[in-house]
Amino acid sequence: MSPIESLNHLRERGLLPDEQAKIIADIEAKRPFSLHWELRSVLYIGILLLSSGLGLLIYENYDSLGHLTILGGISVLCAGAYAYAFRVRPPWSPGLVQSASPFGDYALVLGCLLFLSLIGYAQYEYTVFGTRYGLVTFVPAVLFLALAYRFDHRGVLGMGLTALMAWVGVTVRPLDLYIKTNFFDERVIYSALALSGAVLGAAWLLQRRGIKPHFTFTYLLVVGNLLLVALLAGLFNLEPMRFVFAVLLMGACALFDWYARQEQSLLFGLMAAVYGFIGLSYLFFTYTNPGFYSSTFYLLATGVGLVVYLLAYRRR
Amino acid sequence: MRAYNSIHVQNRALRQQADRWQREGLIQPDQREAIRQAFPVPFRESNVFAELGSFVFTVLAVGGAYAFVLLLINGIIDNKAAFAGFNGLVSLVLVFLLHTFIREAQFYRNGPDNALVVMAASFLVTAVNIALPDSAALWLRCLVSVPVLLAFAIYYGEVIVAFMALASFFASFFTGFLEFDWGRMALPFMLMVVSLLLKWVLNNVQSRLTEADQTYFADALSMGEWVCLIVLAAAGNYFVVRELNGLLADVPAGQARPEVAPQIALPALFWVLTFLIPAIYAYLGLTRKNRMYVILGALGLAGATSTVRYYFPLLPLSIHLTLIGTLLIGTAAMAIRYLRQPRFGFTDVPDGESPRQFFLNSELLSVMQATGTTINRQPDMKFGGGDFGGGGAGRDY
Repeated sequence: MSPIESLNHLRERGLLPDEQAKIIADIEAKRPFSLHWELRSVLYIGILLLSSGLGLLIYENYDSLGHLTILGGISVLCAGAYAYAFRVRPPWSPGLVQSASPFGDYALVLGCLLFLSLIGYAQYEYTVFGTRYGLVTFVPAVLFLALAYRFDHRGVLGMGLTALMAWVGVTVRPLDLYIKTNFFDERVIYSALALSGAVLGAAWLLQRRGIKPHFTFTYLLVVGNLLLVALLAGLFNLEPMRFVFAVLLMGACALFDWYARQEQSLLFGLMAAVYGFIGLSYLFFTYTNPGFYSSTFYLLATGVGLVVYLLAYRRR
Repeated sequence: MRAYNSIHVQNRALRQQADRWQREGLIQPDQREAIRQAFPVPFRESNVFAELGSFVFTVLAVGGAYAFVLLLINGIIDNKAAFAGFNGLVSLVLVFLLHTFIREAQFYRNGPDNALVVMAASFLVTAVNIALPDSAALWLRCLVSVPVLLAFAIYYGEVIVAFMALASFFASFFTGFLEFDWGRMALPFMLMVVSLLLKWVLNNVQSRLTEADQTYFADALSMGEWVCLIVLAAAGNYFVVRELNGLLADVPAGQARPEVAPQIALPALFWVLTFLIPAIYAYLGLTRKNRMYVILGALGLAGATSTVRYYFPLLPLSIHLTLIGTLLIGTAAMAIRYLRQPRFGFTDVPDGESPRQFFLNSELLSVMQATGTTINRQPDMKFGGGDFGGGGAGRDY
C-alpha cells in the first residue's frame, strides 16, 4: 500500500487532521531515494575483492624484481588503511558507538584483511614465527579482537573469532556453510570446547561489566555455533564419553533457550532447537534401533513438538 | 475469496506505515495508538527465526506423518489410481488442518501455515502427476502443475507456492522447446519473450487489483517481477546461453562432450544483450527510483563483466580482482561523498525501511568468510586446519 493510500485511509477515519496529512504527503512526495545500503554493499564487495586480489598477488611473481615492490605496496596500503581508521576513530566508550566517518569502518576491515595476507605470507616465505605455526592465526586474532573493542566493530570481532577458531584447528566459511576440521580427533573437539567455553565465559563477564554488551550477540552467533557443533561431534564420535556430551549438549541448549527468552532473540532459540533435535535424533536412532513405524512417528512427534516450542515464544 | 482476512492484511500494512511515521516524528505517539485501535490486526505475531524454524519442522512433521500412514497402507503405491487418490486426500487433510489453524489460532504467514500451503499444493501436484499416463512428457507434467499451484498462490497469496507456479511455468517452456529440433536455438528468444510478456501481465494484474488485494499479493507479485527480470537478463547473457547450449547439445554417440562449449549462433547479438539488458535495468532503476531495477542492474553489470573475463582472460585473476575491487571502492566512495547532500532525488542517508540488522549480519558473515579463506590460502598448509585435519594444531604454541 502506498503512503498516499494509507493517508487517505487515516483521513477517512478522522485519525489525522488534514493539515498534518498534507505535510506528510508532501514529505513522502519529496522523500529522496536512499542508496545507503546499496552503496555500502558495493564498497564492501570492493574491499573483499581488492583484498583477495592482493592476497593472491603476493604468491605470484616470486622471483621477479617486482615481487618486493608488490609486498611493499601492500604493506603501505595496509598501514595506510589502519592509519586512516585511527585518524577518524570514534571516541572510546564501553557502550555502542556510532562511527563518525563514513569510511573509517571500511578502512579498518581492509587493513585487517591485508594484514592477514601479509602475516600468512611472512610465515610462508620467511618463517618469521619459526615452527610456532599457531602464532600465524593467534597474533591476528588478538589484534583483531583488540581493534574490534577499540573501534566498536562487529565485523572485525567476527574476523578475530574466525582467526581464533583457526588457531584451534577449525576452519569456518559461513557463506559456504563450511566448517572444516577433524572432528574425529579428540584433541580438536576438546580444544574447540575449551576455546568456546573460555570465549563465551569472557563474553558473559564483559556483558555484565557493561563493556560492549552488544557484542554478545556476535559471540553467541559465532562461538555458540562452534560450541554446539563441537558438542555434537563429541556425541557422534567419542563413544566412551557419549553420555557426558549428551548432558552437556542438553545443558548448552537449555542455556541458549534461557538467553533467547531473556533477550527476546529467537535466533538462539532456533539454534537450541536445531542442535538439540540433531543430538536427540542421533541418540534415538542409535540406541533404540527403531523400526519404520517408530521412526516416522518420531519425526511426526518431534516436528510437532518443536513447532509448538518455537511458536510458544510469542506468548510471553 | 481469500484464505486470510484481506482487511486485516491491509490494516497490518497501515499500522506498519504509521509505525514508520511515528519513528520519523511525523505523527504523535497517541495518534499512532489511535490508529492501532482503529485498525485491528488479530493475526498472531511472530519472528523471522521462529517462522523459519517452524516452517522446517512442520515439513518434517508432515513428512513423518505421511510416511507413517503410507506404512500402514503398504500396498497402495502399486495401484496408480489409489495412490493418486491417497495423495489428493493428504492434500485435502492438510488444507483442512491449515484452515483450522488460520481460523482458530490466527495464523498469518507464521511458518507452519506457509509450510502447510506448500505441502498441500505439492501433494496435489503429486496426485495429478501420478494420475497422468506414464508416457506424459516432462513439459506436460510441468504445465498441468501450473494451474494447481496458481490456484493455491491466488487463494493464499503465499510467495513460495507462487514461486513454484512460476518455476513450473518456465520449466514447461524450457523442456517443451527442447522437444523440437529448432527449439534449442529458439530457446533464449522464447524465454525472453515469455518473461517480458509475463512481466507485462503481472503489472497489468497488479494495477487492476483492489487496494486490499494489492497488499495481499504484494510479496508474490514482487517475487514474480524479480523472477521475470532475472530470467530475461539470463536468457540474454552470452555466458548462460553459450554454456547452456553446450550442455543441451546432443553429443554424437561414442564422442565425449567438448570441454569448451561451442560458439553459438549470433554471438554479437548476445554480447550486446549481455550488457544492454542490465544497462536498461540500471537506467530504469535510477530514473524511476526503483530499488529492484537498481539492484538487478548492478548485479547484471557485474555478471556481464565476469562474462567478458570468462571468455577473454586478459589479466591474471589477482590483478583482475585488484582492479575491479579498486574500481568498486572508488565508485562507492565517490558516490557516498557526492550524496552527502541529497541530489537529483537521491541520498546516502539510510531510510527507515533499510534492513540494518540484515546488513550487519551479512557483513559479519562475509568478513568471516574472507578471513577463513585468507587463512587457508597459504600454498602449503604448515599450520592446523589444513586439508589433513587440525591434528597439528594442538602443539607448538
